[in-house]
Formats: sequence, structure tokens, C-alpha cells
Amino acid sequence: MSPIDRRMFYHVNWRLVCVLTALFGIGVLNLYSASGVRLGDGVQMENFYQKQLIWGAIGLAGMAAFMSFDYRRLNTVAWPLYAMTIVLLLAVPLAGKTVLGARRWLDFGLFSFQPSELAKFSVLLLGARMLSGSSERLNMREFFAVLGLGALPALLIIKQPDLGTGMLVLLLLGGLVLYRGIVPWLFRTLCVLVPLITPLFWFVLKDYQKRRILAFLDPATDPLGSGYHIMQSEIAVGSGRVFGKGFLAGTQSQLRFLPEKHTDFAVAVFGEEWGFFGMIVLLSLFCGYLYQIAVVARDAKDPYGSFLAAGVFFYFFWQILINMGMVMGLMPVVGVPLPFVSYGGSATLVNFSLVGLVLNVSMRRYLFKQT
Amino acid sequence: MKNLLSASSQNMPRFGPALLQFLVLGLFLLFAVRLWYLQIHLGPVFTEKSRNNQLRIEYLFAPRGFLRDRNGELLAVNEPAFALGLVREDCDDIPATLGKVAELSGIPLERLKEVYARNKPKVKSFEPLVLVPDMNFDTIAKVEGVAVRWPGLEILSRTRRKYNYGHLLSHVLGYVSEASEAEMQADPSLSLGDFVGKQGLENRLDARLRGAKGKRLIEVDVTGRRLSEEQQGEPKAGEEIFLSLDLGLQQLGHKLLEGKSGAVVVMDPDNGEVHALVSEPSYDSNMFTTGLSSAQWAALRDDPLHPLQNRATQSVYPPGSVFKLVTAAAGLHEGLIDPSETVNCSGELALGNHVFRCWKHSGHGSVNLQRALVESCDVYFYKLGMKLGVDRMSAFAKAAGFGAPTGIDLPHEKGGLIASKDWKLKRFGVRWTKGEDLNMSIGQGYTVVSPLQVARYISALLNGGKLLKPSLIRGETPQVTSQLPLTPEQAAIIKRNMVATVEDPRGTCRRVLTPGVMVGAKTGSAQVVRLTEELRRMGDSVPYKYRDHAWMAGFGEQGGKRFVIVAMMEHGMHGTAAGPIVKAMINALFMGKRELPPKDLEGAERPPDVAARLDTVETQFPEPPAPEVPAAGAAAPAQEAPAQ
Repeated sequence: MSPIDRRMFYHVNWRLVCVLTALFGIGVLNLYSASGVRLGDGVQMENFYQKQLIWGAIGLAGMAAFMSFDYRRLNTVAWPLYAMTIVLLLAVPLAGKTVLGARRWLDFGLFSFQPSELAKFSVLLLGARMLSGSSERLNMREFFAVLGLGALPALLIIKQPDLGTGMLVLLLLGGLVLYRGIVPWLFRTLCVLVPLITPLFWFVLKDYQKRRILAFLDPATDPLGSGYHIMQSEIAVGSGRVFGKGFLAGTQSQLRFLPEKHTDFAVAVFGEEWGFFGMIVLLSLFCGYLYQIAVVARDAKDPYGSFLAAGVFFYFFWQILINMGMVMGLMPVVGVPLPFVSYGGSATLVNFSLVGLVLNVSMRRYLFKQT
Repeated sequence: MKNLLSASSQNMPRFGPALLQFLVLGLFLLFAVRLWYLQIHLGPVFTEKSRNNQLRIEYLFAPRGFLRDRNGELLAVNEPAFALGLVREDCDDIPATLGKVAELSGIPLERLKEVYARNKPKVKSFEPLVLVPDMNFDTIAKVEGVAVRWPGLEILSRTRRKYNYGHLLSHVLGYVSEASEAEMQADPSLSLGDFVGKQGLENRLDARLRGAKGKRLIEVDVTGRRLSEEQQGEPKAGEEIFLSLDLGLQQLGHKLLEGKSGAVVVMDPDNGEVHALVSEPSYDSNMFTTGLSSAQWAALRDDPLHPLQNRATQSVYPPGSVFKLVTAAAGLHEGLIDPSETVNCSGELALGNHVFRCWKHSGHGSVNLQRALVESCDVYFYKLGMKLGVDRMSAFAKAAGFGAPTGIDLPHEKGGLIASKDWKLKRFGVRWTKGEDLNMSIGQGYTVVSPLQVARYISALLNGGKLLKPSLIRGETPQVTSQLPLTPEQAAIIKRNMVATVEDPRGTCRRVLTPGVMVGAKTGSAQVVRLTEELRRMGDSVPYKYRDHAWMAGFGEQGGKRFVIVAMMEHGMHGTAAGPIVKAMINALFMGKRELPPKDLEGAERPPDVAARLDTVETQFPEPPAPEVPAAGAAAPAQEAPAQ
């Protein structure tokens, strides 16, 4: 089987490509605005949008690379990749470098690397492999096997500390478990137990994390810390009203009242400048994007492909839910970026690559005779 | 389209795809609703908050209006002052910086910490928080020297009210100081650190003096950096006001009262303008503008001599014989006396089993109204008082402006007290006695009046019966509050008799006789305590606190110019003690003489010690009369109440 059959090209989910292009375009445009800082004597531009474009180009290459082989081959690398991830995660506390109080990076001389980024991908691959074995609902033994599989890297990541990524790994796996389905009694038990156990995590949280959650519950308790972030973000979005303040005219962002305006709170800039109208368009694009991934998962040729696409779906779904929820004051401040809208080099590369994976599944959804 | 050819299609997840679609729908609905809530429903609220972030209003301070005396002499001005502020944002170590400021300024660290903690919530982190409101040049130099090493410290220039004659005018001008929390709540145009008039004219004329702040709309970024500004109204300077006071007279009044407690009022009877309003002891208004420490404030407030009290308007005293001018006028008004009719004074008058004495124990013999006033015969007025009765005296006294504030533009004015039958019954539950009529007729008993009220009454006698609102502002339209119920002829009789009191060889006010000036006057000595025989025998060596208050109310007239002068000296012993003050004022007003009278004319000497004066303060404001005030109640005075 040659890696690329010309016929496959027709089966690529072009709608997904279109929505992706629109999202990335809006993201770069918005970053252009978010890069501007008004000073006394004019506007000073930072170059985030240019960097984002360059990373987009690199991402396209990654996307092409992820389309170039039959996704089923990934099945064979799932376990080795997982094992490598665990080793690297274990190496972080020993050999990692500390940035801003958290040890997340491994320094390889030429480049630095976050094993936690790799963890998301390897858990996605291994989760898809383990869960696609049967269509039966998950029983308790299998459930705990999968849980253990995800919990190990997740705990290592949370220890770094990087609560956002650790949670994302677990949520991703949780999504896949739900995608497969679990036996009803277990589902019901979990429905009761999870809300009961979750509050216990309070005791393992770091102080700054506790403060963020308290600030989310009552922003006034911490008006200069993360409460300030939430307040300023809501002010930015809310003051956009119906049609927004206009492109490049957002005062919350231009005058820097909005924190982290090109990364975690980038979508607040968009909300301020384009208003309810713009936000509904953006939200619709995100939903269209997710829907197209869901379509690929539904129409995949085999369960493995379906689970891979579903894993990508959850990867994006959780990030969109957490990030936009945070910007709109529905969630505490967690450092999760919004795909294609928040600035981030490696995130852009990973996002494009994962779209490549989904397109890979979609273009190989029919069996072709091997030539 | 499901690929049924797939070998493993039976292993495809059954519910997963539906779940994904459901999640997409849920995501959309959740955020769409939230966005509607934030952007449409709460949009206006957040728009306002965003504007508040972005725009800052800066006020441009209007200079406070100057105050001048009637001749243009500057009384209250503004001068530059330097404050020490701390910009929190620029300061890396606030406790250490506060410690340094304490060291430089000499202000205790605890006090600075208190100021810091109190103002921190009100001042933004990039704005200076004022730690030391007013630095002397020594401190400024020290701060300048170390400022480089202490980021965040900033010397702020502002203006401060300066009273050129702080001690001479404090009771009239009052003072300004920083607006309190409550004042800022009540007046939105006030902001932290603004000065407002707290006392005296500074308080009453605050709106005119303050002017209006200019407003500037400033666009700022998150660090507070100014990006653009838009002027929205120029500051409007406060009005410059010329007072009716004459600084020279004011100065003279203070010198004449130096070392004593008392008040002097000089008033133009024709328009009500007050040319001098003196109260001693005094304080320096400037103390308040530089920020008074609580110890300083406590010292002022608790001073046994009450320097904060304006004795011309806020203190009320028994009028003594000065009140005979009221009793006489009431008699004329009621038609109960004929000026030529005589009454025999044997030196005493018996009523029931009590004997009321005239101050002149040997008696005045046959006296008519003029002689009764000239020689201040008590018996004449006892008899008149008996005929009038309390209620008619009281009604006339009230019509003459007593018992109620005059309405002068000064805060906390006292109205004094004019008793009546009803009042006594209500106040003490005891009926009025006939003996009290007698006491009232000579200005003893419950009656208490302020020096300003007396000046206003004398003015009305001269100006055709107009009771004027005493005015402190030059050229203000005279305000007639009521009319004295006297015919011009009746007023003229009183006036003539006052002149006779000065000019007659037997007159009690002979010492204020001034060649070339028509002077009229009446003395009064108001008893503070009922004199016991023992005290009486002590004569002039009666302890200070038991001595009578000395009054003189008079006027001078020369070539169309006339002034009413009222002097009142606490514990001055005899009415004569107030005489030199009136005399010196007349000299200054009509003879152009402003020098002080020789020392020997100054009445009672300075009190022996403060402790003795300490007890007097309770007796200063009898309202209702303190037990020491004579002739109180049904017990009836065992002794007469002499007055001269």
C-alpha cells in the first residue's frame, strides 16, 4: 500500500480544512490586533501574529506529514511511545529546567521540549488502541486499566506542576471512555462518586491554584490577582456588546487592562472588538470544526480510526470549553490556550498535526485494493 | 455513510458519534447563552466598567478666594506648601520607606503607618499617597537628599491656606482643613485632600470661597500612563471677599483684652456691618491648616479658658445693668413710665419679707428716668419691673432681639435666654415669683445675652428701630430682620439718657467722655455668684472667679459717622473695667488714635492663676443659669442684687 493514493485525495474532509483555514485566519487577524499596544505617541506592534503565521506554515508541514502514512501504523508505536513518554516525564524532575517556578521542560541543547505535550499525544494513541478492541461497553476491569493508563502520566504532569495539561490528559481519556461507553451500573456509580471525590483534590492543590478557584467563585476576593484576570476578561467581552468596538479599537486590550491578551485571553480581544455577532460566528466555526471531526470519527473505516478522531475531538473540545469558559467567567483561570486563536508555537504545530491525523482517517475511510 | 464492507464494522462504537454531536450542540448553546448574557444583557454595565478603566477624571484645583478686611488688608491667602507622598507602585519596600520617612520627618512611625493604612484603599497604586501633608524646609531638604535612593517618595506641591493674622481673626475667619469622609460623601465635588471651611466665615462662605474645580478627562492605560487628555472646564477661582472688619480695630481689641477673657463688638448701626468682633483668649487659625495632632487638638479643646469659643457670639452672660436700657424701653413702650415722673429711692425696696437693695445703699432720693439710667438706680427699675411683670419685659426683650440668634454668618451662634412665666414652670416646675421680676428688671436672674445681641439692640435704638442682621461682609445689603416696637421719640429718650450717662457729672460712664464726639453708654456688672457678706467685705480682693462680669454698651457719633461699641470682660469686677476698652475704641474710631490706653486704666489685673479661672468656665454659659447665678427660684434672694 503506497502511502498516498490519488483517490484518497477526494475523500479528504475538505469542509474540515475550510473551517480550519477560517479559524486560523481569524486567529491571526485577532493576534494582529492583540499585538498592538497603544502608547502615548502611537501604537507599538509586537510580532506575535507574524510568528503565528510562521508556525502555521510549520504546522502545515506537520499536517502533511501526519497524512502521509496509514494511520493504522500508529497502532504499533502506541506502546513504545507511551513508555518513552513515561521515561521522559520521570526525567523532568531530575534533569528538567525550571521556568517560572515549574519544572516542565527538558533541555536538549538545540531545543527545549515539554514531555507533557508528548503525553497528550501518546495517551491519545494508546487510549484509541486499547478502547477500539471491542464495541462492548467498558466493564470495571477495563475501566480501571484505562484509568491507570491515563493517571500515571497525568499525575506526573500535575506534580510538575501543570494542572491544566494533567487535567487535559485525564479529560481526553475520559472522553474516549465515554465515546466507547461504559456499563450502566458503573456509569451510575461514577456519576455519584466523581462529584464526591472531586472536592478532595482541593487538598492536593497548590496555594496559587486554590486562590484561582476562590477568585473564580468570588472575583472580589482577589481583585489584583486572578480575580482581576476574570473581571477584566468579562469587562472586555461584555463591553463588546452587539457589534463590538471595531477591529483594533478594543480599549481593554489596546490599553493592556486585559492580561495575557495574546495567549490565554486572546478570544476576549476578539469578543471586545467584534461583539456578540463576531463571537457567535467564531463559536459557530469552532462547533463546525468539532462537528466535522465528529463526522470523521463516525464515518471512519475502523474502530481504531474512529477512536483516533474521537480522541482529537476531545483534545480540542476540552480546550475550547475550558478556555472560552474561563474567558467568559464560567471557569477558574487555568492555563489552557484556545486552539488557533491563542498564540503558541508548539501548540499550533500540534494542533495542525492532529488535524492531519483526522484528515488521514477521513481520506482512508474506504477500503482500497492494495496495489 | 457507514462502511459496511469494513471487516471490523461490528466493533464500531455505537453511541460515541451521537455523544460527540450532542457535546458540540451543548457547547454552542452554553456559550451562546453566556455571550448573550455578558454582551447583550450586561453589555451596558461592562461598557461603563471599561470606560472607568480607560478614562480618569483629574481635577484642576481652583485657588481659594482671598479674604480682605474693609480696607483691603489681606487676611487669608494661599501659600505654597510641600507634602510628601508615596507612590506605592514605585516603592519596593514600603515598611522600610515608612521607617525612613519617620526618621526624616520626625513623625512617629506608628502615626505614619496609621496614615498609610487609612489612605491605602482610597489612593490608586500609581498615585501618591500623602504621608506628610506639610513639610518644613528642613525636612524637604533632607528628603531631596535621599529621594534617589528611596523610589516612590515624591514631593508634592500644593497650596495651603495662610492666615496673616491667625490670632486676631480666628473666631471670625475660622479655618479650613482637610475634608472629612462624611463631607466627601455629602459633596461629590470634594475629593481626598481637599480643604473645606470648618469654622467661622471659612465655613459659612465656603461655597463662594472654594470656586469650582476644573475637570480634565484623561485616557490612561493599565499602568496609569496618560495617553491623551481633554480639558472639560477651566478651574474657576474662588471669590475674593472684603470683610466688614477693620483689621486695626480688631488688633486694638485684642490688645485691650490681652490676658483677659472677653469680647468686643464694634458695629455700624446704620447697615449692620461689624467693624470689629474680638474674642479673647484666642487661637491661631494656621494651626488647623497644617494638620493638628490629636494632642494639640486636645490641648485647645480642653484649655480651661476655652480659646475656641467666640465670646461675642457663642458665649452668653447675664447682662446686668445694661439690661436697664431694655427695661426702660419696655416701660416706655407699655406707657408705664413718664420720663419726668420721679420715684423715690431710699436705697432699698422691701418685697414680702425680702429687702432688695440699690447698689447705692444710701439711696438716690427722688429719681426720674434720666437719673435712674445715669446713676443706674436699681430701685427705680425694681419698681418699673414690678409694674411691667416678667411677661411684658420678656416680650419686649424678645422683640429687641434677645433670646434668639442674631443670624450673623458665623456657625454655632447662641441665642441666650429670656425667661418667662411659662418657661420657668416648664423648666423647673415652679411658679414665677414677684422677686424675680425685680431681678429681671436689672438684668440679673435667668437672663443671658451675647455681646453681639447687645450691640444689635443699641444699633436699633440709634437707627430708627431697625433690628439688623449683623453683617461681616463689606457692602452687603443691610437685612432688617424686625422692627423694635418703639416710636422714634421713645428711642430718642433712651439715646439721650445714654449720652447723659456719659456727660452728666454723676454719670457712671463719665470716663468715656470724649471731646468732639457725642458718646452714649451704659455700664453693667453681672453677678456670677450671689455675693455673700463675706465676699462683699473683701471688696476688690474677691477671688477672680467670683468677680462680676463687666459690661459697657455704648455708641459714638460724630459728623454723620456713628458706631456702636460693646465691650464685655469676664470677671472684670465693675462696669468700669470695660470702660477703657470702649474709650480706646472711640478714640480709634473718631479721633484717629490707635494707641493703647495707659496701663493703669485697664481695670482688673491679670488673674492670679489659671486654677482659679478654671472654675469660671462653667459659669460662663449659664443655660439655664447655673446655681451660682443669683436670684434663682422660689428660695428668693436673701440679699438684694446690686448693680451700678
